[in-house]
Amino acid sequence: MIIGIDVGGTHADGVLLDNGVVKRKKKVAVEARPLEDTLIALLDTLLPDERSRLKKIQLSTTLCTNALLTGDLARVGMFIEAGPGMNPSFLQCGDYVHYLNGSIDHRGIEQKAPDLSQLNEIMEEWHAEGVDSVGIVTKFSHRNSRHEKIVGEKALDIFSHISLGHQLSGLPNFPRRVYTTWLNSSLKKVFSQFKKGIETGLKKHDISCPIFLLKADGGTMPFAAAGVSPCQTIHSGPSASVMGCLALHDNGADDIILLDIGGTTTDIALFSEGIPLLEPYGVTIGGRPTLIRALYTRSVPIGGDSTISRHADGYTIGPRKAGTAMGFGGSTPTPTDAMITLGYMEDGDATAARRGMQMLDDSCSAEETAEKILKVFCERIHDTVTTMVDTLFSRPVFTVADLLEREKLEPNKLMVIGGPALALKEMLGQTFSLPCTVPDDFEVANAIGAARARQTVQLSLYCDTELNRLSIPELSIEEAPGRNFGLDDARTRLIEAVEDIASKQAINAPYTIDIVEKFESSIVRGFNSTGKILSLKAQLRPGLVEE
Amino acid sequence: MKTYMPSADVSTGLVLFPAFDWCISPSHPEREERLLYTKDQLIEEGLEDVPGIHFFNPELATDLDVERVHFCVPSARKLLTNSHYISTGGTIRAARAVMEKEVERSFAVVRPPGHHAMQTVFGDRGFCIVNIESVMVEYIRRHYGIRKIAIVDTDCHHGDGTQDIFYNDPDTLFISIHQDGRTLYPGTGHVYENGGPSAIGATVNIPLPPGTSEKGFDMVMERVVMPVLEEFQPELIINSAGQDNHYTDPITNMNFTAQGYARLTRQLKPDICVLEGGYSIEGALPYTNLGIVLSLAGMDTSHVLEPGYDPEDFRQNHRINNSIETSCNEALEMYRKRHQFAEKFKGQENVVERKQIFYDTTGFQVNQTRVYHLCPRCAGYTQLLAEGLDQHLHGFSIPFNACPSCQQKARDGFAKTKKERGIRLVLQDRVRDLVDEK
Ligand SMILES: [Zn+2]
Ligand SMILES: [Zn+2]
Repeated sequence: MIIGIDVGGTHADGVLLDNGVVKRKKKVAVEARPLEDTLIALLDTLLPDERSRLKKIQLSTTLCTNALLTGDLARVGMFIEAGPGMNPSFLQCGDYVHYLNGSIDHRGIEQKAPDLSQLNEIMEEWHAEGVDSVGIVTKFSHRNSRHEKIVGEKALDIFSHISLGHQLSGLPNFPRRVYTTWLNSSLKKVFSQFKKGIETGLKKHDISCPIFLLKADGGTMPFAAAGVSPCQTIHSGPSASVMGCLALHDNGADDIILLDIGGTTTDIALFSEGIPLLEPYGVTIGGRPTLIRALYTRSVPIGGDSTISRHADGYTIGPRKAGTAMGFGGSTPTPTDAMITLGYMEDGDATAARRGMQMLDDSCSAEETAEKILKVFCERIHDTVTTMVDTLFSRPVFTVADLLEREKLEPNKLMVIGGPALALKEMLGQTFSLPCTVPDDFEVANAIGAARARQTVQLSLYCDTELNRLSIPELSIEEAPGRNFGLDDARTRLIEAVEDIASKQAINAPYTIDIVEKFESSIVRGFNSTGKILSLKAQLRPGLVEE
Repeated sequence: MKTYMPSADVSTGLVLFPAFDWCISPSHPEREERLLYTKDQLIEEGLEDVPGIHFFNPELATDLDVERVHFCVPSARKLLTNSHYISTGGTIRAARAVMEKEVERSFAVVRPPGHHAMQTVFGDRGFCIVNIESVMVEYIRRHYGIRKIAIVDTDCHHGDGTQDIFYNDPDTLFISIHQDGRTLYPGTGHVYENGGPSAIGATVNIPLPPGTSEKGFDMVMERVVMPVLEEFQPELIINSAGQDNHYTDPITNMNFTAQGYARLTRQLKPDICVLEGGYSIEGALPYTNLGIVLSLAGMDTSHVLEPGYDPEDFRQNHRINNSIETSCNEALEMYRKRHQFAEKFKGQENVVERKQIFYDTTGFQVNQTRVYHLCPRCAGYTQLLAEGLDQHLHGFSIPFNACPSCQQKARDGFAKTKKERGIRLVLQDRVRDLVDEK
């Protein structure tokens, strides 16, 4: 048995699953008291009678997202080494920033050692001013993390929390690494309090099964790992609904468009052959681009309760909230009224809803107006999906083979969840010219998604045999692989590293390891091949746990 | 709203295509690894997240795109690989991005390069088979009706291919700044090469002594390039942005820097840049390309410095200064006297030019005769005879700006010529945009 809990903006949903079947479900309001209290209370109602059959608890949490929204962030100190390139002065990381003057180049070669003579003084000064969490980032640290580590060691005795850029992601993109590290540093304290709260609560309820937290990439991670990189829990809401839909969907291998239509927003996600698509680098949080691995989702600011305004060429829906639909006692017409008018919704006062349509345009029938409005609604979503598919197709590729072989995603199915899902099913199907399904039980889809999401891990390996250097940044691994190390050896080494994590985190087989990227280039100096550059990425394939 | 990334003042498109799976041969300078570190640097900088910088994938050029410019023997299909169609398509994509106002400027960081490929193509010359910027220029003319275009070639090698292709076109200004041909491949690019009989002054060559550095390039830009551009008034400026003038380049002897390239780009303000050569793949290209991109985008380049860069290392000595100054004066003099030089062709019906073209990559020679048919109303049309590797070509070329009578003459000439075995007989008609072959 698994318990899954999804925390949303106003409510938290929980389910108890037994072999994939919902045994219990419960919805509670999220109150102002500490989130951990709400969660423990909810958990209490979901616990199975036979406590020993509970295998694990999986949570999505808005803790970090809320901390960001409310600005409840710790004071962070940042050590940044930019080296040659863009002027780094655009980086915004608060008031405690020190630029290191060293540099590491694109191959991971140290070009200049940073001057460390002032570091201790700076650290002591910051600490005296209340900084207890620091982030350390250098350019190209995914190739060579030495400078991050040296500074990290010096910080060890002074600060409680230290985040090193290379451990948070093995991907390139220095500004994103800086922001990811800054975010992570600023969340560590609030997260550790949360963790303590949950642990105390669990102890009180005598629960000893492992706890996992949902990440933004549709997967989970163990509670302990989240203490190191709490930033991974940001933006996990879409993960819960996307994985939930996958669970409620019967045919795994489709190319699906998933729509989650709410009151004022519609969230869109895409699946290719049943696997949710990811952002190329990571999610953007409050304007900050990051390397936090995340599902590829877009939000359109329209929903059942959006405003409708009429102008010369038609109607505009959203982006504001109009309030309750007239069919439910409100005073301004909404898309929900259009749905009621057309008989797509059983509930609601049809006369009041029709009056709303007439208010917008009294020169034609209420049905005609309603039809026009829903058409605009569906087309707006359709346009965004088209843009998403085009954007996906135009992601940069760098090899002849990739350029010639890339194919545009051609979705063959539409899946819709959320309040107005059933009402819009037919019209959306027509707009997209695709079969459209609304899964049963979709109101607990998010909690089911939280319960059944698999653990995910992504690791990168970069090896330069001329320099006799191999690194797996996420694990801080640096080795001397030998001159004859080849692509197959690199693949084996990387899979071994993933398997090692799987066994440490007690991930049950069967899991699938994908090599998601593989690159090899000879290094030629003069007229001789002097080595090889190998670069690989592997992941534990995201998906659903079969109990 | 707070912004967390710097934004481009001038929106800039980037076609970054390192073609990691293509090389001339594994240890050739034009190999898979060439743009590896450049790509790594540009991606690590986070350029994809800079508002106003847009990445585009290349498209594939068509045979017509290529044959609108080149006479390929035996044929484009047989000479070109997919990589050539892609690097050419990369320049076309960069051009389209600007012409359709997706961005204000663009830069095609693609390989293989093209500026040594001439009007006739029998194989690979100086790592080039297709002249990627020339194909782009004619594509722009064909699709967007632009007439006056300037190409400023800042590669260290003379852009002999581009010069050859536009030699008799008065609407294309070709300026090449390069290491003196007496000291470097391909050996041409002397000041006196100043354009065909209908286009005297539309070719400007500025050979520079080995060791030329930032100050020297500044002088050339200020004294020659900018004034000539000002006089020509192009509708579009294209930069063949080779980066082998860099002080670390292994196959040249210049002393230029990333800061220098950034400054040159800021002065030139090209609409479209196309990467040409540059073989210091670790020490130069990551920094010079970044410098050019940031300059195009109107962004801060002050931190784009090679590791260990010290301006003191790039002082030019007196001898070099003088030599550069002389070169500038001579080039300017040639340009100023262009009308005088043009006088001697007045009234002539045709001018014959004989050329021996050496293909260095596989080592063979092509003998070529080019006949410029002159016209008082336009720049005339061209007839070509070329042979090499036991293959023969007889071509007629109608430029985009030919007058109706010249168009007809060329078409008649092609129609009247009897097809002989073993000779490729081709009409390249840029006005009707077709390539005909008997
Ligand atoms: Zn060159
Ligand atoms: Zn004419």
